[in-house]
This record gives sequence, C-alpha cells and structure tokens, in this order.
Amino acid sequence: MSVHKRVECCCGWKWPTLLVIWSGFWAPLLLADEPSGLRVDFLRQIRPIMADRCFRCHGPDAGERQADLRLDTDDTLFDERRDGGSVIARGNADESLLFQRISATSDDERMPPPDIGPALSSFEQDLIYRWIEQGAEFASHWSFDPPCASAFPDVRNRVWPRNGIDYFVLAELEKRGLAPTPEADRATMIRRVTLDLTGLPPAPADVDAFLADSSHDAWERLVDRLLASPRYGERMAVEWLDAARYADTSGYQLDTERSMWPWRDWVIRAFNRNLSFDRFTIEQLAGDLLPNAMLDQRIATGFNRNHRINSEGGSIPEEFLVENIVDRVDTTATVWLGLTMTCARCHDHKYDPVTQREFYEFYAFFHNVPEKGTGARYGNSDPVITFPTADQRARQQELARQLAVVEQEVAEQEESTAGFVAAREKMAVLRKRAEKLAADIPSTMVMQELDSPRETFLLVRGLYDRPAERVSAGVPRCLPPMDPDLPRNRLGLAQWLVNPRNPLTARVTVNRYWQMYFGTGLVRTSEDFGSQGDLPSHKRLLDWLASRFVRQSWDVKVMQKLIVSSATYRQQSRSSPRHLELDPENRLLGRAPRFRLPAESIRDQALFLGGLLVESLGGPSVRPYQPAGLWAELTAKPETESDDVYVQGSGADLYRRSLYTFWKRSIPPPGMEVFDAPSRETCTVRRSQTSTSLQALTLLNDVTYVEAARGLAQRVLTESGHSEVERIRFAIGAATARLPDRRNEMLLLGALQRYRSRFRGDPMAAKALLLVGESPRDESIDVVDHAAWTLLASVILNLDATVMKD
Amino acid sequence: MQASVMRVVPVSRRDFLAECALGAAAVSVLDDESVAAAPSRPLPGLPHSPPRARRVIYLFQSGGPSQVDTFDYKPQLLSRFGEELPDGVRQGQRLTGMTSGQASFPVAPSIFRFRKNPHCGTWVSDLLPHTRRIAHELCLTNSMYTEAINHAPGITFRLTGAQQTGRPSLGAWVTYGLGNSSNNLPSFVVMVSRGTGKPDGQGVFSNLWGAGFLPSKYQGVRFRSSGDPVQYLSNPPGIDDALRRTMLDDLTALNRQLDLAGDGRTTMRMAQYEMAYRMQTSVPELTDLSGEPEHVFHAYGPDSRVRGTFAANCLLARRLVERGVRFVQLLHRGWDQHEMLPRAISGQCRDVDQPTAALIADLKQRGLLDDTLVVWGGEFGRTVFCQNKLTHDNYGRDHHPRCFTGWMAGGGVKPGIVYGETDDYSYNIVRDPIHVHDWNATLLYLLGIDHTRLTFKYQGRHHRLTDVEGRVVHELLT
Repeated sequence: MSVHKRVECCCGWKWPTLLVIWSGFWAPLLLADEPSGLRVDFLRQIRPIMADRCFRCHGPDAGERQADLRLDTDDTLFDERRDGGSVIARGNADESLLFQRISATSDDERMPPPDIGPALSSFEQDLIYRWIEQGAEFASHWSFDPPCASAFPDVRNRVWPRNGIDYFVLAELEKRGLAPTPEADRATMIRRVTLDLTGLPPAPADVDAFLADSSHDAWERLVDRLLASPRYGERMAVEWLDAARYADTSGYQLDTERSMWPWRDWVIRAFNRNLSFDRFTIEQLAGDLLPNAMLDQRIATGFNRNHRINSEGGSIPEEFLVENIVDRVDTTATVWLGLTMTCARCHDHKYDPVTQREFYEFYAFFHNVPEKGTGARYGNSDPVITFPTADQRARQQELARQLAVVEQEVAEQEESTAGFVAAREKMAVLRKRAEKLAADIPSTMVMQELDSPRETFLLVRGLYDRPAERVSAGVPRCLPPMDPDLPRNRLGLAQWLVNPRNPLTARVTVNRYWQMYFGTGLVRTSEDFGSQGDLPSHKRLLDWLASRFVRQSWDVKVMQKLIVSSATYRQQSRSSPRHLELDPENRLLGRAPRFRLPAESIRDQALFLGGLLVESLGGPSVRPYQPAGLWAELTAKPETESDDVYVQGSGADLYRRSLYTFWKRSIPPPGMEVFDAPSRETCTVRRSQTSTSLQALTLLNDVTYVEAARGLAQRVLTESGHSEVERIRFAIGAATARLPDRRNEMLLLGALQRYRSRFRGDPMAAKALLLVGESPRDESIDVVDHAAWTLLASVILNLDATVMKD
Repeated sequence: MQASVMRVVPVSRRDFLAECALGAAAVSVLDDESVAAAPSRPLPGLPHSPPRARRVIYLFQSGGPSQVDTFDYKPQLLSRFGEELPDGVRQGQRLTGMTSGQASFPVAPSIFRFRKNPHCGTWVSDLLPHTRRIAHELCLTNSMYTEAINHAPGITFRLTGAQQTGRPSLGAWVTYGLGNSSNNLPSFVVMVSRGTGKPDGQGVFSNLWGAGFLPSKYQGVRFRSSGDPVQYLSNPPGIDDALRRTMLDDLTALNRQLDLAGDGRTTMRMAQYEMAYRMQTSVPELTDLSGEPEHVFHAYGPDSRVRGTFAANCLLARRLVERGVRFVQLLHRGWDQHEMLPRAISGQCRDVDQPTAALIADLKQRGLLDDTLVVWGGEFGRTVFCQNKLTHDNYGRDHHPRCFTGWMAGGGVKPGIVYGETDDYSYNIVRDPIHVHDWNATLLYLLGIDHTRLTFKYQGRHHRLTDVEGRVVHELLT
C-alpha cells in the first residue's frame, strides 16, 4: 500500500445537493418569457448543462475521456459513430444518440451513469430536445472569443440613459416589460458614491454643498473630487489586497511577521496616481524585468511574493517551492484571466480547454526566482530589497566608518589590555546599533529572475517529486498566442495579458469593478469565466465596457467615473414588488443594489463619524484594539516570541484606516473576519455577504464601536446646535446623509430621554461607559448627557441605514 | 419564496421574531445571508440516510500523538531496542527534514507498559489508564494514515480534507448540510487548549474551523479561554441587560421606520440582534460551571475547574451537546514529541486521559452517547525509530504519516473493537487501512450524510469534504 502526499486538486464531479445550477436566477425569467417553442439559446441554456453534467467524461481532459466522445467542441459532436447513429442528428432529436442516452430509463443506457450523477431533469431534457430539433446550433465558450463592441441596442425610453451602460441595461429590462427605478434622492446618491469611491461617508458639509449645488455638472464635479482624493486609492486597494492575498505574516504553522507593506503602499499610490491598468499589470508581474527598473517598479513585483511561505521545521524545500509557484499561477490566472487554471495541476482541466502540460508551461514563467521554497523563520525570505531613507543611509555609513576604526583598534591592541577591552566593548555597542538600524530599514520581498533559468517539468499528479517531460514557458492555446517578439518570461507574459487581443483580461477586470459597486459582477462568478462559471447577465454591456477600457488606454479612474455616472448606478434601491418578484437578485439591474458595507468601511466609517479617524497614507501596519489574549490562546510561544503575542498599539495606531490593520493570516483581525473579510491565505476576488449574530455583538460591544459612539456623541454635543432636534438631525445626518422624518425624530427623542433618565439614576454607570476607549473625553461635557448620547449614537451606528449602502 | 421575503413587517416583537425565522430561511436561498446561530433547516434532501448520530464531539489531538506509546502495542520491539530499523520496513519512504539527515534509525520501543481492558481485550498503555477503563466503549483503529508529513498541512488535511488552506472545515460542512438545531447557541463551537506535554507546541489557526468557500456564517464560533467566551459578548461597562433590551427595541423601531427597501434584509439583521441578545444569556449560563455537582468535577479531574483546560472543555462539550449544539470541536495542542518523549507525553496524556474517559461515561449515563459521536485523534503518528539520541529511558520520535491511531465512540459505531493492524514496527499498515477521507466519509455517514452528495460549487467545481475519494468503513458500524 502506498502512502504518499497526494495533491488535492482532483476535480471530482458530483451532483450538487441543491438542484439549482444554471437556473438560479434565470429560471423565473426564462419560464416567464420563454414558453416552449421559443428558440433555445445554446450558450445560455444548453452548454451550462453539458459543462456541468457531461464534460467530466466528455470534455477537455483527454485522460478521462470516455468513448472518444467530446462535447465541448463541435469536432466530433455531429459525427456518425462507429456503432451507427449520430451523436447529434441536427433537427432530429429522437435520432440523436445524445438525446437517446440522456432520456434512457435503464441504468445501463442512461447518461450520466448512475454512479456519476442523477438523470437530467425533464426540463433539461426538454431543452436539449428542442435545441436539437431547432438545428443544434453550436457555439464555443463565450469568454475565449474577443469582446465585440456592438452598437447600443434600441430602447423605447430614450430619456433615461445617461451613458452607454444604460442602453444595454434598459434594453434587457424593456425586453421583460420592466422599467428602471427612479433616480435616488441626492442625499442617498452622494452617500453612495462617496462610500463607493473613498470607503468613507460624506461629511455633512459635503452633503449640504451638493444638495445646494443645482449646476448641471454638480455630479461630475463631485465624482472628480472623490477620484482625486487620496482616500480613493485606499478604498480601491482593499479589493486588490484580497486578490493579491496580502498579509503581514507568512502563514502556515509559524505564521511569523513579514514586511510587505511597501508593496501595499505601492498599490495605494498606483491607484491615486491613476496608473493605467496595463502598467499596473506589467509592473506588478514583471517590474524587475523592465529596462532600468526603478525601485518602485521592483517593489511592485511583491504582488507575486504575497503568497504564504512555509518555514515549519523539517519542511521539504522542493515541496513548498512547488506550492509557492502553484499559488502564483492560481492567483495570476484568477485575477487576470478569470480561469481556474489550478484544476489542471494534476490532470487536464475537466471543463476548460487547459491541459496539464499548459498548466506547467504557465507555471514555468514563475519558476525562475532565486528562492528556496521554504522560508526564513522570521521576516522576509529572499529575494528581498531594502531601501533606507537618506537619513538611514547616512547613519549606516557613519556607523560603518566608526566600526572600521574600532575594529582596527581591536586588531592593533594587545589582548586583555584595558584599551583592548574598551575597544571591544565599543565595537559590540556599534554592531548592536548597526543591527538595530538594519532592522528599521524598510524591506520588502520582490520577484527576481535567476541568471540561468531553472528547468520546468510537468509534475505527475502535481507531485513535487514526480517530474515527467520538460516544458518551457508558454500560454494556453485556447487564448491568442504570445507575439513571437515577446520575451518568454514574466515580462512577456504581462504584456500578453494586456494585449488588446486577450479576450479575458479587460472583461475580468471591469467585471470586478462592477462587482465593487453593484455587489455582484455582470458575471457573478468573478473568479471563474470558464465553462463552469456563470454566464454574464449582460454580455454586450460587459464587452462594451471591456473594449472601452482598452480603447481608453486602461484608464482606471475613467472607468470608475463611467460606471458611477450611469443612470443605472443612480437609481433608487427601493423597488416595486414586480421587480422583486421577477428579479429577486437584481441581476437585471432595474434598481440600485443595497448591501452591507465591506468590513473595512464599517469600521472606517465609525471612526470617521466618531471624529477619531487618523488619516495618514501608508507605512507599517498598525495594531488597533482586539480582545486581549486572542493570539496568545492560539499561537505557539506567547511567553517568548513577539510574533506570538499581540501588542496593541496606542494613540494614532488605534484609529488608522482598516487597510493598515496588521493582518495575521492564522488569526485575522476579528473585526474584519466577522464582516466577511477573507483570511488572505489565498487569492480571493469575491467576498461572501452574510449577516450573523457575531456581527451584532461586534457593533454593539467592541470597544472600537463604543468609543466611536462616544466620539460621535461628543461631536453632537459640541459641534451641532443646542436643541435636541438639531442634535438628532446632526447625528442622523452624519451617519446616513439623510434627515430623520418627524416620526423618527420622536422615536430618537424618546430613546434619548430614556437613556438620560436611566443614567441620571446611575451616574456611576455613565462614568463607566465613558471610560471605554483610549481617546480623551471633553471633560466639560456633562457626564449623564454624554453617556445618554453615547447610547443613542451606538444605536445610530447599528442602524441599517448606517451599515448598509443604499 | 418571494412572498415571505416581502411580507409586511409585523408589529409586536413576538410576531417580529416569528417572522424572522421564516424570512431568514426564505432569503437564505436567494443570497447567502442567513441566520448563523439561530435554528435553520437542513439542505433539501438531507439527511440522505437515517442518522445514527445527531451531534459530534471531536477531540482533536494536535501535534501527532505517538501511537507507539499509547495504543499500538508491539511487545516484540522490546528485544529490538537500538537495532537499526530494517530498510525493508522503511522502504526509502520520505522523512521530514528533521530526521532525513540522521545516519542511523534505531528502534525505540515504548518504555510504557501496556495492559488489556478486561471487557474487550483492547491494549492501552499505562499512559492512559482511564481511557483503558472505558476502552470497551471505543471503536479503535490503529490503521489510519494520511498524506501530509508536516503539521500545518497535516492538521488542515485531517480537519478540512485538503492540505492546502481554503477548504471548509468538517464542522462547517456539517452545519451547512444539517443546519442549526439550537435557537440560542451557534451550531459549531470550537475550543482550544494548550497541552502540558509541550506548552509551546504549534499554534493552531482559525481556518481549521473556517468556512472556506462556504458562506462565512458556517464557520465555527470559538469559545475563548480568557475574557468573554464569545468575542464581544459582554455589554460595555455601564450598560446592563435592561438597558441593552431598551436599546435593541429602539433599534428595531427605528430600523423598521427607515427600512425603505422592503427586501427582507432589515428583518434578517434584526433577527441577528435578537440572537445576539439571547446568546448574551445563553452563553454565560452555558459556561458557568458553578451549578455542576462535586462528583462531576471529581470525575473530569481537578483541571476541569480551570477554565481553558482540556478537562474544562470536555465538560463544556457535554453541556453544549445537552443544549443541542451539533458540532463541538476541541483542539488540544502539545503532542509533538521530537525529543524527551517519555516525560512530555506523560503530561500530555494526563491532560486528556481522565476528562476523556469521564466525558464518555457522562454522556453514557445521561443517555446521550447513543446519538453522540465522540472522535479522538491527531494529524499523524510518530516514528518507531528514535529522533536524536536513544537511551533506555529517553527518546524522541519524528512525524509519521503512514500509520496512526484514532478512535470513535457512541452513535452508530461498534464498541470495544480494534480495527486494522500495522507491522511489527508500527510502521506500515498490514491490514484494513483507513485514509483520512475514509474516516471523514464514515463520520458524515453516521450523521446521515452521503459524503459524495454533500457538495458546494466553487471555482467551477463541485467540491466535497472527501475530494473524489473516501469509503465509508462499514466494518466500524453497528
């Protein structure tokens, strides 16, 4: 019996428990407007069934292919079989073997076989029947064909569209007899767009100014101002840090600290200076290979060093070298191509045309880094660059000079003389100082190319110790080939990715932008544009956006502006029962989305409202509040290792934006994790959106939010008018950008009175509450008043209207 | 489905709560929002078969307990002390970087004496006398094996079915499949303790109880050993229960006023606040052991009075399953004895032996053992050959993925049996191997879940806990 490491990626296929595969959203619409007899859409209705139910044995994987039959291409689909009959006889379903087999009642005949999965539903069978009867029109998978920029579709309502986006959206709505939802009120709009573009809510003065601005370009100027704000880069970086699996520790068992924040800061700066997406790509994948690469461009290559690095004792370097590279392939393919390429690590991809050989050809691009596989126990692992400041450099030189002098003295003096001892002591002090200085000099891990390339081999079943034939760097054949004059290295790969002919990069990228605003991408599976991924809800829109993105030189800010300037974006989130019934998930975009803010924004907004937020761009990660002992309970040596104990920061460190919070992979910041932030172990391009009781406990009881409530209360009591109603309007206005109506005012006033009378009877409780958090309190404010307002502010911070983006 | 989502928000709080249960279930199908710690139903079609166990207590022993010194009795090794491990046994299989450079691989027999449980004849060493006393309740196997040779991949493999991170943990899969049966506690609770055998033993990481690619509401809720048992459970100073209740009522009233979207999300969020409020009562009640009678502490041992110990966690595990929590995951650290094994493992075994036996007896006495599955074991075993210097009273052992011991007890498994066998060196399995995937398939089966049918589509693939493998080991089942 052989016991050996077997890599996990065998792409097993089994019938999902929930029988909702392709029909999740489309079923109600299709059932509503496509009675049988209408033309069946192959790509939307047939191919997903085949991909999910048939490709495992009749798909791209040559090793698994049964009966020499392939259903993902039309090579053999219409062939006559040796044993007679055609797989598909166009126009005659009953004569088609395919239909005979899927509709067979005996287990021996039926496809898929019972041990592979249950029979196709009668609805699915009927679709296939009709498709064959209608001529069995075949098409290849949509995302490998280049985007086609089509003309705007005709729409009946010619007034509504504000830009191209709206024509595509409206046409789909009108097809189903739906109208878009009216435009949101201006307060909602400014809050929405400010949160979307900066991750923070608008200040009350900004809201007032916008409400008062009746000029025709008010919106445009607002958007331009937000895009120019340094907060924009911080907001945009969050999604990218997830995708790049950025963290401040190395993961695995030891999970000790590393320094990658210089890369993180590069990302923020790149967004803020509006680095075009093609440069953004090239510098991160291959900045080191650019001619005369600048320091900044080398820092950018940290993108592909953000993966975990194992330094557990006894780890086998060759094994983890493979893991590092596989992670780079997985991340690069997911982020730029929307392909689940890692499925081809152990065998040909089951669903997409990527062979195992092609996987290792792609892998070869990333296999040429001077790295060991396992890493340093502490800190960064080679290759690393350091970049002292001018002052640090000067101090380094000065220390080196002094050390040289003392070393000379030591060498010249007789041992054990007083002079010798003194010189030795001085030398030790200087060396210590040099060490300390070296530790303070920023460093970051980067990519670098070996002078003589490593050989790359296909690995049998993905195992590090099972090399087979040698391969050289290349890209999958289902995509356009690399230009012959491109170098076969990471630089060539990066240039190939942003070649306008690449059908995926622009689509996948604009889809992620879309997802940021609407909660769901036009392709819902933003990580998978392959045949198992969802089809786009608006393919022509996606293609139009992608083509435009490329045509406009990959200008990232221009693309954001385009999206937020659309009428689609400016709708209300509240909608008619008909919309909700026909399109519960809002895939048709007939209303604005409404969803909970991302983890970072929840906290940043609270700090902002509480007047606590400390805004300064970049720098080493900080350690804000977290429950005491959280790390120590889980880490190895909390008594002795600084990596194993969380030393909470103080002062400004408590109030920085959340993307600067120290991210330990094995124990992510609890306030982020609870609101669906990923662990950053591996590339994530889509977060889940859940609602849990732990979130409620966090918003109510975490010192962060209690202190923010106290801060908001203090602002109310010192910055707003003196009447209770004015104060309530100030607080609600700050949190929601809207004013409370009369009924809400009454509710809030009633609540305030209850809290106040409660604290009046128990001033000690009021005092205790006001002691939460390290920021000082304005002692001139009455304790009871401040405590009562703190409670009300806490309620306000917990309101749906505050934590949701409307 | 849509009808209940859009139902008009009712007026009284009681009605409101009733509404939440329905609304949440309905909406959870639409998007992945749902009530994490409130009752929820199983997935359609589940259970696949009648469950033999309704809940699980998983006593994970982190670090790799030595099977040679605890359960896998090899008396013939005593005469081979210090002999070189025959090449025919090792067969050139890979070793970790910690011993691959060793010039010699001397056999280190266990210095601990083994004795039989009188009822069933199962051999257990003197390190685990209490466990031996209840061995007739255990379904023991010495023939487990795994693929990983280092801790992080090994633990991750055992608890999530993959060596790479990012997959849902066993408890998350079970919660996803079967829903939550408690209305005031989470369905999946995790407790971590530090062993005395190696106090600075490896850390553990939250993805071991994470939801992976499942919606994050399925992740385990860790009960902490210091501070609030559940993070942020306590009200801040100055806010008592009555005031919190008032605040929540105000919040509900305001949300209802401001809920313009009518899409059901507000209703769901408020349900979470109510659940949180209930947990503020139910969790302290649960973790307050002062009501337990003296004889219970006596049975679980003196550590059971000390918060955060394995013993205290065992007692909490019993209290959790009594209250309907479906999956309780304990992780006890410190089994990684590369050196000075005899001394270190003695402490380690003392940590777990008495409380484990007491837990089994306690569950049995309360009638809970029939439908509770208790699982014990680590990520791999340890080598029969010595790491570092071998003496007559001291030795160490390296990681050994090729065989190790695990046991189950309770709902649906055969008590008092020993399944599988290793060679004379406890090095290779010679009969009835059980792979980690087989073990997990069996565990799911006992809960009424067909491991091939509990799937989740992610990145284009229908993932399952057991990847494409796993065999239900029917020989272990009643």
